[in-house]
Formats: sequence, structure tokens, C-alpha cells
Amino acid sequence: MRVLGVIALALAVSTGAASARPTADPGLNSSEIVIGGTVPLSGIAASYASVGRGAEAYFKYVNARGGVNGRKITYKYVDDQYNPAQTVQAVRQLVQQERVFAIFNSLGTEHNLSVRSFLNATKVPQLFVGSGATTFGRDYRRYPYTIGFLPSYIGEGKVYARHIVKTKPNAKIAVLVQNDDYGKDLLAGFKSGLGAKRKNLVAEQSYDALSTDVSSQIARLRSSRATVLLLITTPPFAIRGLVAANRLGWRPQVYVNQVGSATNIMRIVAATANPRIIEGAITLISVKDPLMPRFRSDKGMALYRTIMRQQLPRGDVNDGFHVYSMAVAYTFVEALKKAGRNPTRASLVRAVANLNLRSNPFLLPGVVVKTSSTDHFPLDQGQLQRWSKNQWNPLGKVVSAR
Amino acid sequence: MTAGRFALRVIGFALFVAIVVYLPFRISDFRASEFALIGIYFIAILGLNVLTGYTGVISLGHGAFMALGAYTTAILVADHGMRDLWTIPLAGLLAAAAGAAFGLPALRLSGPYLALATFGIAVATPIVIKKFDGLTGGSGGINLFEAEGITGLPEFIVTLPGGKVLSFNDWLYYLTWTFALALFAIAWAIHHSRFGRSLRAIRDNEIAASASGIWLASHKTLAFSISAFYAGVAGSLLAISAFSVQPGAFPVDRSIALLVGLAVGGLGSLAPLAAGAAFLVFLPQWAQDISKAPGVPAVIYGAVLIALMILLPLGVGGLLRRIMGPLTSRLYPRS
Amino acid sequence: MADVLQQVVSGIASGGVYALLALALVLIYRSTGVLNFAQGEMAMFSTFICWELLDRGVPYWGAFFLTLAISFVGGVLIERLVIHSVSRSQALTVVTVTIGLLILLNGAAAWIWKGEQRTLENPFPSDTFEVGGVVIAAQDLGIIGVSLAIVLVLWAFFQRTRVGLALRAAALNPESSRLHGVRVSRMLALGWGLAAVLGAVAGILVAPTQGSFDQNLMLPVLIFAFAAAVLGGLDSPIGAVVGGVVLGVVLNLVGAYIDFFADLRLPAALLLILGILLLRPNGLFGRSVVRRV
Repeated sequence: MRVLGVIALALAVSTGAASARPTADPGLNSSEIVIGGTVPLSGIAASYASVGRGAEAYFKYVNARGGVNGRKITYKYVDDQYNPAQTVQAVRQLVQQERVFAIFNSLGTEHNLSVRSFLNATKVPQLFVGSGATTFGRDYRRYPYTIGFLPSYIGEGKVYARHIVKTKPNAKIAVLVQNDDYGKDLLAGFKSGLGAKRKNLVAEQSYDALSTDVSSQIARLRSSRATVLLLITTPPFAIRGLVAANRLGWRPQVYVNQVGSATNIMRIVAATANPRIIEGAITLISVKDPLMPRFRSDKGMALYRTIMRQQLPRGDVNDGFHVYSMAVAYTFVEALKKAGRNPTRASLVRAVANLNLRSNPFLLPGVVVKTSSTDHFPLDQGQLQRWSKNQWNPLGKVVSAR
Repeated sequence: MTAGRFALRVIGFALFVAIVVYLPFRISDFRASEFALIGIYFIAILGLNVLTGYTGVISLGHGAFMALGAYTTAILVADHGMRDLWTIPLAGLLAAAAGAAFGLPALRLSGPYLALATFGIAVATPIVIKKFDGLTGGSGGINLFEAEGITGLPEFIVTLPGGKVLSFNDWLYYLTWTFALALFAIAWAIHHSRFGRSLRAIRDNEIAASASGIWLASHKTLAFSISAFYAGVAGSLLAISAFSVQPGAFPVDRSIALLVGLAVGGLGSLAPLAAGAAFLVFLPQWAQDISKAPGVPAVIYGAVLIALMILLPLGVGGLLRRIMGPLTSRLYPRS
Repeated sequence: MADVLQQVVSGIASGGVYALLALALVLIYRSTGVLNFAQGEMAMFSTFICWELLDRGVPYWGAFFLTLAISFVGGVLIERLVIHSVSRSQALTVVTVTIGLLILLNGAAAWIWKGEQRTLENPFPSDTFEVGGVVIAAQDLGIIGVSLAIVLVLWAFFQRTRVGLALRAAALNPESSRLHGVRVSRMLALGWGLAAVLGAVAGILVAPTQGSFDQNLMLPVLIFAFAAAVLGGLDSPIGAVVGGVVLGVVLNLVGAYIDFFADLRLPAALLLILGILLLRPNGLFGRSVVRRV
């Protein structure tokens, strides 16, 4: 069998020239462009399925208006059950069998990492990765076909740190963090942002996504006498952490990361525990939240609601992931327009690396989508929000989250 | 067994081999990668059969041995520059050692307690992998794509005389099925050996087996070890075909899937276990093709699985035995 | 010191949660000999039914008992339609059927209730008491109380009623029981029905502790419940409660005070259980079965 490998390699070297491929990129013809991606549609992360559905709804809306340069966008998203091994299989199927033009909007840090080398080696664009892991924007020289979307987790962590240093420079800080790369990334950014005040971080507790509660961790954090609590958690654990804190009678200044701070989640906490536990809580967001009253008559959210009504009537309008995915889909459409009348994978990647979109209807006013040859973080801004009277209210101006 | 029956078996095996060799010429390139995955599962299920089919021990933890094999290969290739092919048997051996290490104390436990102990191992595996991130790369895992030791890469294309183009997926297919066929032959040899008969005696009646001189401890431990070896090889091949390993690739679901594949293929059978492997690869896709609405593919999968178990409680293997039984008994009236 | 006690108290609280589902697992194992991997999903489904009733305006206790009744019927139906057909098969087939059931129920719940986060009313008051610096919630006391009450009811049922005796007999020795006039198949259906009821109680009480729930409510709980049941002995209801509490407390103390195990809570607890099993292979309170030839 080793012999087979050697013979095969020898043949490959001698017949390499015969393997020249036709020049047109697959997944594209005069009337259609086909893109694909992986999203957890089932299993433990099934609540993120709306990331696929929202984008699909937006594309249907665009298609109803003639598509892009006369081409309809067909978005095939496949279930990877949040298992990176399945992601590998699914992406191979999308690229080799479905012959998609690009991979788009796939969710998960490890999941996108597991296929990044393959996609870059086969020169298939891996666009707007559903993860804030810094590597997706930082390592573009090695992986030019890959680009993220969200502000990096490190950047987000720094914003919280800077705010705490500015407003409560002597407070003791406790952190509850999810035990995986996303958690570690955000925590690293937070620690780095604290700078000289690093020793104010007096307690750190982690939890595994398979846990049923985090009351033990919260009890330990409370015993550190910290007065600031940062939650680097997904929504279910943001809820459990705050409910546990409330039960112990602990009322720290709460910071919640973007992943876990959607309005509907916060309202569940207020209803189950006590509204006072999150009064004054702070988060950083970049995407509009469907339950924010100040966007009730906002044109972007009106468009969102229209698209939901027309294309995804059975979807939950209050699910913020729908808005996020439409923001991503909007960006893709604009990039596709920039890629030319007859786009190629290379021209699309170039367009994606040269964006300057100021009016993405689904992003907070003032947040722009900007990329350049030295900046591969499409979003690197956000705005802090403070929770008060059952909603998020803007706190300060749009800031940099790099 | 009689010479006639043996000859029949050899012809059957040769046919099997011929089909395996010829298949990539008839199916699309991508399908070859799916069949490679079937080969991988086939190997793991063959191993699980040695344990469950022959000793009756239900293991819900063989995903852990697959993970061990996968990470062994990944670490040796990425950190020590070893050639991936050589790591495959090493991965199997390491998993076998772990299997023996677990098997020995596990002897104290019976049926459901042992099953749940293995379940605990499967649950703990991704957490333990993440903990020792210096070695395993933590949540992000290990990337093998740019490692020197990797033999097959996506750009790898060979044009055979006659026009057929062999791609990377075909390479994967032949790699996994070479191991699958070799390990299948070994499993067959085990089945017909004295060791295999002793194992089945243990399954049928432990007390009687022990009374007739079979040393339970060594046999059960060896069965554990062998089944772990197979799982380790399967895991290693998985790492090579995916170019990466992550802890998230080995959740409890994987161990449960192996058990499902064994049940569908048929406990105690050999070749029909490939049907169990095919079930694991094709049914989820088929269910998704029918509907992508939330929850519906799972409902379809669960319903089909339940129906299969009700209609074919002994799996595809059981069905084949029922069909072939009357046929072969006509050929060999004396048996 | 108060900190350690707090960890112990919250460990007992989470242990109560594991114990509730573990009791259903023990009941089903004891009365039918089956390891029901779908127990958690059945409990989850019952929880959704309760939510649906509450959402339609049924008052809490009405919804509660109606859900128990519906769950009983559901359990019986599952046994009759699905389990019965494979009950004579090998263990692997039965386990696989329960796995199929797990997958199907999870999918069905995702389909019907669309995977959105729901909240369930809490039957216990949300007061907390502080004793010597340690905070105890009424809800946690309530859950432990209910678990212990269930243990008592099960004990009385199995030891003191004819039906209970018949149930145990049918599980231990179906052939003999039939000869004694026990309707074995009816007993098995009854066992599944009762276990479904216990599961429903577990789900309805656990859901409020999580803040919100969706179809994945019971998946992590099932793992801990199995661990608790194994630790306590698969055929012992009191074992399920003791196992749950021990598991909860150990998880907390190990995770909070031994740094190395902070990221390894669950594996550490499982290792401990494995160790205990080596000394007592049938769990803390389980009965060892003497096999006759």
C-alpha cells in the first residue's frame, strides 16, 4: 500500500499537466449563482439554525427583485449538527458534488477551522464565517480566501475591559467563561484590555457546554467579593448564571458578551429571576435587535419584518440571529455586485477584501462594513448598551472593537 | 468446516474484493469519499461486533477509542513529522492498550453498569481532550493539512491508462477499504477460531463457559482490546480523511452511532455490518433531502430506526441468514 | 467555611434535579429491565405538553395533573406499540429502539415547538433563606422534598402493594410470574406508564430551574441522571436520590476547590463513580443478582 502511494505520486508528477481544469468557476451560470454553507440545524446547537434561515430569506427577497446582475442566488445550507467532522464531510459535498461557487455563512469556530485549509487550497471562497475568532481576520495572508464578519472576540473583550477601567478602575472583577476557544479568545482580549489593571481580575470560573447549571461557579465567583461580573457565555448559560447570581443575593455590575445578550434572553432572566439583577447590565452589540423599541419605526427593521413576513412567516421574528444573518447576506450581495458582471471566485474574494458599506440596514447606525488589504475584519465596531427598563439603551458612541 | 464451504467463503470474499476495487469506476468522485466513510465505520463496527456480538458486552464508549486513534495519528503526523500511513497501526495499538486497560477493571461490572461506565467514558472524552490542550490543540484541534506526513492531498490526481481519473477521494476510498478488507478477513478468522468460539460461549452462558475451562478475564479483556484496536484504526483513518481532529468531532453521538450501526447491520454477522455502516452515512442525508424543516429529519431518522429494529430485530445480517438458511441447507443437507 | 457549605448546598440542589430523572430511570429498569435512553426526551416532551396547556390558559395544577395523565398514556402507548415488539429480542435491539425513540422525540419537539426558548412556571415560591451566610432557595428544598416523597411512594408501592409486587415479579422472572397469574405484558405497560409519569414530574420541576428551556432541556440532565442511578444502584430508588446528591456535591467541591479539575468536573465525577463501582459493582444500594445455573 505504501508502494501504491509512491507509484501514484510518481504518476501524478508525470501526468500533472494533463489535469488542467476548465477556467469557468463552478456554481455560476447566466441565471444563477449557487453558494453553500453549514449551520447546526439539529442537535445541541439547533437554536442557531436561524443563522441559515435568515440569510436564505434575504436572498429570496433579492431574487424576487431580479437577483444580482440577472442571477438568482441559491443558498444551500446543510446541517453539520455542530460537529466539525460533519462540517468537513458537508463542505466536501457542497464543493465537490453540489459544485457551489463559494462557502458562505458557516457557523462555528472549530467548524470553519476544520475546512479552512481545504477551501484555501482548492481556492474556494470561505466567506463571512460565523465566528468572532480572531484568526479568521488576522491570518488572511496565509488564508486569503477566508474572511470573517463579526468583530473579533479579542476586540470585544478589550472594549469591556476599557470600559471597566474607565468607569470602575478599582473594582474587583469576576468572569464566568465557556470552556472552549471562543471563551478563551474573549477572555484573552479582556485581560489584554485591562492592561495595568490586570490584577483586578480576581476570579475566573469556566463551565462545559454539557453542564446543567453553573451555580457552583457563580458561588465561587461571589466568594471572591468581586463587584463586577463578566459573562462570556452562550444564551442558556447567561440565563443560568444570572439566575444563580440572583439567587445568592449577589448584585454585581454585569457585563454580558454579545453572543448571549439578545433582548429576549435578558427578558427571560428578568422574568425568571428578578429584573434588578440585570438592571444596569452592559453589553456590546453591532447588529440591530428586533426587540429594541427605538428601532420600531426604523427602515432597516421594517425591511427585516417585511422579509420575515413574506419569506419566513413561520420563523420567530424576535430571534436576533435572523437579523444577524440578513446583515451577512446583505454584505454578500453588495460584494457580489462589486465582483463584476461575470464574477469569478477570485474577483469575489477581491471584492470582499475591498468593502466600504455604510448603509447595511441591519447593523447599528454608525457601524460600517469595511475591509482593505490590511484590514480583514469586516465589522470592527460596536456600541455599548446599558440595560434599563426592560430594554437595551445606547451607552456612548459607536466604538472600535479591534 | 468442510472444504466446500471454505471454498464458497473464499469465492464470496473475492467477489466482495472485486466489487470494492471496481466501485470507484462506476460512481462519482464525491460518492467515493462517502464510501470511504462507510469503510471507516465498517471497520469500527466490525470491532464493536467482536465485543458485543461475541461477548455480549454492550459498549457505548467506542467513540472514545476512535478519538484516541485519531489524535494519535494527528499528534504523530503534525508534531513528529511521521508519515500518516505508519501511524494507522500505531493508533490501533494504542487504542488496543487502552481497551485492555479499561477491559480489565470493567470485568467487575455487569451488563447495564458496564454499559453506563462506557457511556461515561464517551461523555468525558471531548472534555478531557480539551483539558490537555498542550498536547491536543484544545478546542481548535490539530490541523494536518500542511503536515509533511500526509500522503494524499486534494490536488492529487492520477490518470490511469484507459482514461479514468483517480482523485483524492478515490485515494481515500482505496486506503480505507484496503484496511477494511484486511480487518474483515481478520475478523472472519477470529470468528472461526477457537478464541471466537470461546467468546460466543461466554455470550451464551457465562457460567457454563467458565465451568468448561474458559478463562473469562483474559478472554473478555482481549475482546475489549481487539474491538478497541479496530476503533483506533477507524479513528486514525478519520483523521487522515478529514485532515484534522477536534474534540467536537467525538461527542457521545458518535459512540451511540456505532452501536446503532451494529444493530442495523446485525449482531454477530460480518459482511452485513457494511450495511449498518451505509445506514449511518446515507440515512441522515436522505432524511434531510426529504425535508429541512426543524426537527423533521430527526423524526424520520428515529422512525426509520425504530421500524427497522421492529421488523429486523437481528439486523440486515439476521435477515440474510433467514433468507440464506433454507437455501444453504438445501445445498448441504447434512449440516 | 460558608463558601464550602454554599457549594455543598448548591450541590445538593443540583443533585435533586439529577435524582428526579434518575428515579424514572430506576423505575423503568426495575420494572422492565430496560435501560431507557429515551427517558429524558419523554420527560422533555411531557414538559412541553405542560407548557402548551399552560399557554392555553389551563391553571397550573390542572395542567400539571393533566400532563401526568397524558404522560402515563404516552408511556403505555410507547411500550405497547414500540417496545413490546422487541422485548423478546437481544439487549442491543432494545437499546437501539430506545435510542431511536430519543432521536425521534427530540426531533418531534423541535418540529412542533420550533426550537424557541420557552419558560415554565415555578410551582415553588422563589424565596431564599440565608442561614449562617449560606443561601438556600425554597425551590431547591422543594425539589429534594419531592424526590424523597417519590422514594417513599415507590417503596410503599413496590413493597406493600400487590401491583407493585406483580411488577417486580414480572421484571425478574416473566415465565414464573405468568404461571402465577401475573399479566406480564400488562405489568410492563404499567411500568412504562409510571416511569413516564415520573419523568414528567422531573421535567416540569427541572425546567423552571434552568430559566428557559427548549427541546435540548434533558440531554445533559440524562447523562447526570444515569451517573446518579448507576452510583446509587440501578434498582434502588433511594440510591437514585443519594447518588444524585453525592454526584452534585462532588462535582461542585471538586470543580471549585481543586484547580486541576476545574475544567474536568464531569470526568472527575465519572472517575469517582467508576472507582466506587469497582468496590461495589452494583452501586451503593443496588442488590447483586445471584445467578443460578
